[in-house]
Amino acid sequence: MARFIIMALWLALLGSLACESEDSRPDAAVAADVSPGDGATDPMDARPSDADAGVTDAAPADASPMDANAPLGPVVVDISNPQPPPLLSDFRFFRLRNGVPDYNQGVVPYDLNTPLFSDFALKWRAIYLPPGSQIQFHPTDSFEFPVGSAIVKSFAIAPDLRTPEVDVRILETRVLIRYADGWRAFPYLWREDRSDADFFARGAVLPLTFIDPRGQTRTAQYLVPQRNQCFACHDQLNAEGGAFLTPLGPKARYLHRSFPYEGGAANQLTHLAGLGWLEGLPDLGDVNPAFDFSEVATTGTTGLDQLGLERAARDYLDINCAHCHNPNSVQGVTSQLFLSFDTTDRFRLGVCKEPGSAGTGSGGLRFDIVPGNAAQSILHFRMASETVGEIMPLVGRSLRDDPAVELIRAWIDGMAPEACD
Amino acid sequence: MIEPNVQKRRPMTRRVLCCLLPLALALAACGDDTPTEDAGTPDDAAARDSGPRSDAGSIDSGVRVDAGATDTGGSDAAADDAGPSDTGVPPDPFSRFSCAEVSGACLEFLPSEVGDLLDAVNGLSAPTTLVLANGRFALDNALTIRGASGVTLTGQGIDETILDFSSQTAQANGVDVVGDNFTISHLTITDSKKDGLRIETSTNVIVRFLKVTWSGGPLSTNGAYGIYPVRCTNVLLEDSEAYDASDAGIYVGQSINAVVRRNIARRNVAGIEIENTQFADVYENLAEDNTGGLLVFDLPGNPIVGRDIKIHDNIVRENNRPNFAASGTTVSAIPAGTGTFALASRRVEITDNTYENNNTMDIAMISGLAVSSSTGAWAIPLDQVVGSTAGLGLLTNETAVFNFRTEEIWIHGNTHSGSGTSPDGLDPVAREIGALISFLYTFPTDERPVDTYLYDGIGETVVPGTTAAGNTNNNHICVGSNTGATFAVLDLPKLADMLQGTPSVFPTTADIFRPGPPFTPFDCSGFTNGPIADLVLPF
Repeated sequence: MARFIIMALWLALLGSLACESEDSRPDAAVAADVSPGDGATDPMDARPSDADAGVTDAAPADASPMDANAPLGPVVVDISNPQPPPLLSDFRFFRLRNGVPDYNQGVVPYDLNTPLFSDFALKWRAIYLPPGSQIQFHPTDSFEFPVGSAIVKSFAIAPDLRTPEVDVRILETRVLIRYADGWRAFPYLWREDRSDADFFARGAVLPLTFIDPRGQTRTAQYLVPQRNQCFACHDQLNAEGGAFLTPLGPKARYLHRSFPYEGGAANQLTHLAGLGWLEGLPDLGDVNPAFDFSEVATTGTTGLDQLGLERAARDYLDINCAHCHNPNSVQGVTSQLFLSFDTTDRFRLGVCKEPGSAGTGSGGLRFDIVPGNAAQSILHFRMASETVGEIMPLVGRSLRDDPAVELIRAWIDGMAPEACD
Repeated sequence: MIEPNVQKRRPMTRRVLCCLLPLALALAACGDDTPTEDAGTPDDAAARDSGPRSDAGSIDSGVRVDAGATDTGGSDAAADDAGPSDTGVPPDPFSRFSCAEVSGACLEFLPSEVGDLLDAVNGLSAPTTLVLANGRFALDNALTIRGASGVTLTGQGIDETILDFSSQTAQANGVDVVGDNFTISHLTITDSKKDGLRIETSTNVIVRFLKVTWSGGPLSTNGAYGIYPVRCTNVLLEDSEAYDASDAGIYVGQSINAVVRRNIARRNVAGIEIENTQFADVYENLAEDNTGGLLVFDLPGNPIVGRDIKIHDNIVRENNRPNFAASGTTVSAIPAGTGTFALASRRVEITDNTYENNNTMDIAMISGLAVSSSTGAWAIPLDQVVGSTAGLGLLTNETAVFNFRTEEIWIHGNTHSGSGTSPDGLDPVAREIGALISFLYTFPTDERPVDTYLYDGIGETVVPGTTAAGNTNNNHICVGSNTGATFAVLDLPKLADMLQGTPSVFPTTADIFRPGPPFTPFDCSGFTNGPIADLVLPF
């Protein structure tokens, strides 16, 4: 699904001249007014409006520097300043064209085999490297990025996610900058008129109503994380026990997939290496790709045997859970439940494991995974729940990711039954 | 926009005015040295309260998105309009403590400045004191502190400064901290969806004059923990209060070096818990009206093996609240009426405490295998062990140590009265130990109070021979001189088998070992490898 969306967006980009008028359409179903710059309104106080009332775009597409057709100057990443620039446009990573990022020279978009679920938000990811610098390949960990590089991830929603390219609305852009002493995270919230995005440390909860990819109307309590909440996922411990911020997605196994570049589709790893951006890429055959979750998202789990289910489920858990549920995490390690794709200890994976402090999250169940019985498994229960206090992951999900829950259910139900005690 | 290196933000101006203008009028209203009536919390700690300080503060908060929208201009006006008394002096929002008393970087916040507060805590990069005014701060997300060392968060007093998280829409903690040299004091945290205060992976942590509660009373839907330092080193938790937590009110978990003193825990499932913690001094606390009062335990397989826990001079009474934990949680297995248990614990000294009217029993010593019978679950891979296991003599194999045993427990000098009269046998599924005790002491005819100290006997070579010579004491359980105490050694597996057999047999107290003083062979004193050393925190 993700690949389909990206392709659709890319096609829209190619045809942007023809589509210019789309931006004047009303955004019918995006109910939240997320404007931080709207007079006296507190940005934390996102005002829901009736879904059918229609919020007309305040500005035409070319009303701001971000939408201008003049060439962007070179990207600006000032690592001598630990403070973020006040405006996202100050970086010159991209500007919006028909509501979609149009990346600057030196900024390359990418996608992941299995993405983190964020209440159905659409995501656009890109890498910026300073001219002449390179990313260092790593077989398992996140790649090592050069000082001065950036990872730019934007979140968007559309009124009807069955047609995500229609009236897509960018919400926020999260920027990771590689300083000499490590990564720093800078969240930006887009103004309602999408003229620019402001640095936004305090976070917000946005009620968003939209139609999900299966046609159901959903209302998310969409979390724009406060800056410190970046650490909830991105902080890991090094061998000495010190915490450091790290990107999560740019790993070999998640990048090993095709992307529809302007010049044609190509494998992302090969493409980056071809640009001279990626050093140390081995033969592609030696890199195991993560499961392409878009298959499950679009067609469900019916075509998968137990091995396929296992692989898909473990990769989903890896990208959605293991940033906390791993032995080197800052938060989550207390659970001693480790959901990385390469966890081999079945007890640590949750099999017949009782949680230490799940609280109401246990749902009255005893074990994280009861093989053969998803209905008795806390892992499944917490992923399926939309009740505060039960939901996992704790950050960034208020809605159930239905295809993923079906995947986890099929995986656990397909295990050889075991009576835990 | 918050400028770098600003030490006193705008609210300071109002505060200075407050204190300068009406010198001739009502000085008491804003005199910082004048004793105030704020919630009865001692004020003498204020001066030493502000924690680590520095004059090198810089605020990395970046840009104000909503310039003017929630800024001090509007709220100042509102406050001024609302406030003037006949004397023209508005109530001092910083009646106990203000930035005027701080030499380093310091920021003040009114309840109307929640957005500014969030901007500030999300941009801290240097030691900073955050002073919250009197009043209720409404937050719909956690108040997070990350990365900066030396942050102090302080209010005007318990129930004077309230952080209200009732509008949270996600399962977030209230105050959520990762940062060394952190101090929190003089405020109330209420209605967080998850833990009230969670401090994780931090060194040198001080919590004092803090109250955590949930406004709906004790409900299973409340957040789990009230005050929860976890994976911390050097914790001082004192003069604080926790109510209504659906798990533990005060929970020191997986930490090394913790002093827990003069706190109050009421109406929680577990009042005070010391879990997988090494070197804890727990004293002068009150645990009352919880399901279980003051508990010491290890979780299966957790990398920090609990040890050296001294529990003294506490009051543990009337912990008879029906268990309201969500079913399936670990604490849902605690029988109502539990004073203390030491579960999967070692080197625990329980002395000079007062236990009263805990209806199931005052102190139980239980092997981890009684709650999780698979020894494999208690394996800690050798390369994951955190902290010191030297001298513990833990069960081990080539790859792991195991922490299920309860051994080296020393109970002496305690005073007991009124407990064990009505054990919680209501739910043999969720709380089988409670049900077993209830059967044992109340069926069919042998009705008597449950013995003060119950030891499950798991791990003993011979148990429970009804004569001293018939019992071993492999686990070095030492019961010294106490007031009003009796002691019994159960054989939990055997008793459970009797009950669950076909036909089932009701065990009675005749089936267990109930020695009188001096409780031979349990009449030892101290620990095999020397006493618990006095704990001195480095601050």
